[in-house]
Amino acid sequence: MFQTFFEWLQNTPLAVLVGETWFPWVESAHVVCLALVAGTIFTVDARLIGFASRQLRFTYVSERLLPWTWGAFICAAITGGLLFIANATNYAHNVPFQIKMVLLLVAGINMLYFQFVIFRSVNSWDSGTPAPAARVAGLLSIVIWCGVIGFGRWIGFV
Amino acid sequence: MDLHQFSEWLSATPLSQRIQVTTWAIPGIQTVHLICLALVFACALVFSLRIAGRGLSSEPLPLLATRFTRAIWYLLVVLLLSGALLIVAEPGRTITNPVFYAKMTMLAVVVAVTLWLSAVARRQFERPSGLHVFMAAFGMLLWIGIMFAGRFIAYVESN
Repeated sequence: MFQTFFEWLQNTPLAVLVGETWFPWVESAHVVCLALVAGTIFTVDARLIGFASRQLRFTYVSERLLPWTWGAFICAAITGGLLFIANATNYAHNVPFQIKMVLLLVAGINMLYFQFVIFRSVNSWDSGTPAPAARVAGLLSIVIWCGVIGFGRWIGFV
Repeated sequence: MDLHQFSEWLSATPLSQRIQVTTWAIPGIQTVHLICLALVFACALVFSLRIAGRGLSSEPLPLLATRFTRAIWYLLVVLLLSGALLIVAEPGRTITNPVFYAKMTMLAVVVAVTLWLSAVARRQFERPSGLHVFMAAFGMLLWIGIMFAGRFIAYVESN
């Protein structure tokens, strides 16, 4: 059933257009978006683990950078979606692609746990070095996003 | 020795051969290159926003400029090293490719722009002029151009 769906997706006029003409442009735009997503996340995480920007409150850094992360994430999802439909049947069975999607899910769970559990005590660690749980979440986030980039790059090599 | 001969010589070196036969080497090096690129782009964004009086604006400009431009230079060293390894691995893909030279030209210009803005920012001016903001925006466009060129190296045929 999925196979039929991916075949249909891949034969839509938009998918054909991306596959035949736009692919390098969409892929380059995807790189710019992912650089903005990962780069701003790493910058916020660096503050969260207490590595950099310690003279600024954590919430000050995150409130000013995370809107860029979300904007870029939406663009990365759109450009990534366009790349996917151009070759849906192959990507669906591509192991690095599948791992990348799982890692994105794990990154989301880490973020939700941080937001709804760890962040509740932010007032006690907003200035200076964050609580151990917050630092673990920051470190996990860095590792997961490095994995997203690595497996993302690997997609084109299998 | 012309560029084509140099390219052939380079791809026959032991280091190049080693990278070529190691399956994970090229995606691995490209991943390091991409992670550093993401960080450079974010640092450039924070620095440019601060010049425009936005972003992390509570931090004095000279302090922020020192922190973020230092990070950019360190990251550029890793980018140049990982980029050099990728050239050694597949010289025929890059050193005779016009897009690669477009990328290096944009890189040289953005380094010059960043050096200039960093020098200006450290001289304690609290109100950057319109020219500075314009150049900061121009620098961001150059980084985007560099990323596009980097990806297009894979799609444009070498001469």
